[in-house]
Amino acid sequence: MKRIILRRIFLLIPVIIGVSILIFVLMHMIPGDPARLLAGENATYEDIQNIREKYGLNEPLINQYFLFFKNVFTGSLISLKTEMNVFDEIIPRFLNTLQLSFFAIAFATLFGIPLGIIAAVNEGKIFDKIISGIYFFGVSMPVFWLGILLMLFFSVYLNVLPAGGKMGFESIILPSVSLGFIISGTVIKMTRTSMITVLKEEHIRTMKAYGVKKRKIVYKYALKNALAPIITILGLEFGYTLGGAILTEKVFGWPGLGRLIVDSIYYRDYPVVQVGIMVIAVSFVLVNLIVDILQIIINPRIAVGENV
Amino acid sequence: MKKSMLFILIFFCSVLAFSVNYGGDLIYVMGTDAVTLFPGNTDNPSEMVCRNIFEGLVEFDSNMKIHPVLAKSWELSEDGKEYTFHLKENIKFHDGAPLNSRAVKKSLEFIIDSKSRKASIFSPFIESIEVIDELTFKIKLTIPGGFFINNLAHSAGLIMSPNSIDEYGYDLGELGKHPVGTGPFSLEEWKRAERITLVKNEDYWGEGPYLDSVIYNVIPEDITRVIQLQSGDADITSRVPPIMIDRLESTSGLTVDIVPSLRVMYLGFNFDKPPFDDDRVRKAINYAIDKEKICEVILRGMGNFSDSPLAPLTVGYYPTGGFPYDPQKAKELLKEAGQEDLTFELSCPRGRYLQDYESVLAIQGMLAEVGITANVRPMEWADYMSYLYGSADDPRYEVFFVGWSPSTGDADWVLRPNFYSDNIIPYGDNNFFYRNEKLDGLIDEGAAEVDYDKRMEIYKEAQEILVLEDTVWGYLWYLNQVVAYKDSLMGVEVLPTEIVIVKNCWFE
Repeated sequence: MKRIILRRIFLLIPVIIGVSILIFVLMHMIPGDPARLLAGENATYEDIQNIREKYGLNEPLINQYFLFFKNVFTGSLISLKTEMNVFDEIIPRFLNTLQLSFFAIAFATLFGIPLGIIAAVNEGKIFDKIISGIYFFGVSMPVFWLGILLMLFFSVYLNVLPAGGKMGFESIILPSVSLGFIISGTVIKMTRTSMITVLKEEHIRTMKAYGVKKRKIVYKYALKNALAPIITILGLEFGYTLGGAILTEKVFGWPGLGRLIVDSIYYRDYPVVQVGIMVIAVSFVLVNLIVDILQIIINPRIAVGENV
Repeated sequence: MKKSMLFILIFFCSVLAFSVNYGGDLIYVMGTDAVTLFPGNTDNPSEMVCRNIFEGLVEFDSNMKIHPVLAKSWELSEDGKEYTFHLKENIKFHDGAPLNSRAVKKSLEFIIDSKSRKASIFSPFIESIEVIDELTFKIKLTIPGGFFINNLAHSAGLIMSPNSIDEYGYDLGELGKHPVGTGPFSLEEWKRAERITLVKNEDYWGEGPYLDSVIYNVIPEDITRVIQLQSGDADITSRVPPIMIDRLESTSGLTVDIVPSLRVMYLGFNFDKPPFDDDRVRKAINYAIDKEKICEVILRGMGNFSDSPLAPLTVGYYPTGGFPYDPQKAKELLKEAGQEDLTFELSCPRGRYLQDYESVLAIQGMLAEVGITANVRPMEWADYMSYLYGSADDPRYEVFFVGWSPSTGDADWVLRPNFYSDNIIPYGDNNFFYRNEKLDGLIDEGAAEVDYDKRMEIYKEAQEILVLEDTVWGYLWYLNQVVAYKDSLMGVEVLPTEIVIVKNCWFE
């Protein structure tokens, strides 16, 4: 296991360098001059030149790239837009996103897995069909639409939850339920399929023949074997929500990292976009590492494959 | 006896009716967070927040009239090159530092020396600032500046505490996080992208403030802001999309204000690309567009017919009459110019201004009716700015759609950057490559004129040249702004510069 962890951490180095070069080139390829945007519409030539000089935007690209890395390591990288330290901008936003992703995944797990199991156990029966309906609803509903519906119901009609922003714990309920519900569609589907496959395996049939209680078979033996693909899906979804919860963040005014990056792209705030995407890339790798470790704990046979 | 009792009762009732209530927290939901609370680098949301914390020597009211705030009075010398200001007494910054001539000098000079983004509001005009005594100082100008008092009302003219400048110096990021002014509210907490909390300045020198705190919550999605206002989570919001106005107006307990702004939308022509050097072609395009219909149908009343590069509330505006819709005249002019099957590129931003792309598509259709083929090219804002202003050597644009709003509220800030020959890009915003010596002369004369009426006369002539003679722009419409708030909230002021002032508010 130690070897796996070390190998993955070493893998981070090329990931960081690769992502940083890719984003740097992409950001500079899209047209648009940050100095002009920062100076505003009424700016004079002098204002714009001042900004270019201040941030080294007149320098050749390669110098700008190395300057960027130097500033990252000395911790003195500042946002073009706000002139504040990039890490001070990104870290609180990243923690917010992490919070949202965590609760969304928690909701998807608690809601999706039991429903998936019920569907699998009742394969082809009425419960299965109802749950299939929920699954289709989940995967086909755009998150912003569901968000607005929930907001209208819980904030305007019932007036029990805040419609948006981040004010205390209740603020996270609606965004994480909206996002979690969308994810739970995939979780239901995966749980159902995986459980059905496992329930048809021979050892389960043998257990049935020996008269082991159905409940025990489902929750103790079958679920454990069916969990591997479900955990993989949850891990992947968690990774995606870190960067891809932008719609949820926007609808609910949740101050997350995805929103910051998108706003910064519009502003051509190169340092924030670069560091923001690097943070997401690194956390994606780390989340996958955690998923793999979990898999090994649940099912030690997987580790054998890694060592080959 | 009974009579006098009644009299006293009436007296008390009337006092109650006109009195204000103290206390309460105001929640303002806005679409984007402030960028900084350093007055020299503000954008619109930042300026709204700054105006609670800082005050200027002078400020605008909702009719764009200048009124004194920190200044008690001022005089302008005969040659128009020297302002003498007298400050009010006993004003203190939030950190206890006294407001005096030295503090004002330091603050204004810092805007220039720190190379702030709004430095050009002052740098070309201020020659020196001279402290005369504790409460008197002189601003010497490089050119005669009848207009300059308006520049002082700009956000760059908000006065910062000298201590905060000493402490954070040129680290504008840190300075922007620690604003210290003389205003009725001071910053308590700023959680980036979440909320800015301002609390009452107990030692405020003037009347008020009535509210205990003002909280700006950041909610980027339009519909969420509207829902928050409806559900009572918020007290006020601005920039309401036109499609939601009906919905808010029909909600009981809410007031919706529609107020004209200074932002004029126009079509710019590249004079270096024939046939746009021909004024007949430019006039034909002006006549071919039914501005009023677009204002009514696409902008849903959020725009009004424009007949000048200045909006009606900009100081110096003169109603020229402009170009009412007349497709027949447009066809005749095109025929005369030999451009009956004119084709060109019409570029526009998408999502930057109210219904920008949709309006341009309507313009495209109207132009087609007089035989003009306009190929619409929508662009993302950052890309568009570079396209219009960043390619002075080889500009490719032909006709473009954009807006202008003078942040000083004065004619000079429209005419000088846009039409002065020396301000052809990259030195200014004249990306039309328009040159007219007579107009240059008028702009200089207008700036130098100290007498208000004479100044207005000069700007009238300038506008006649720009609209009726040379027709430099396609004159379209000026925009309105929408602010919605609870009926119980009193004292909301909406400035035509797209700034909402809540510092004097109270709850009924």
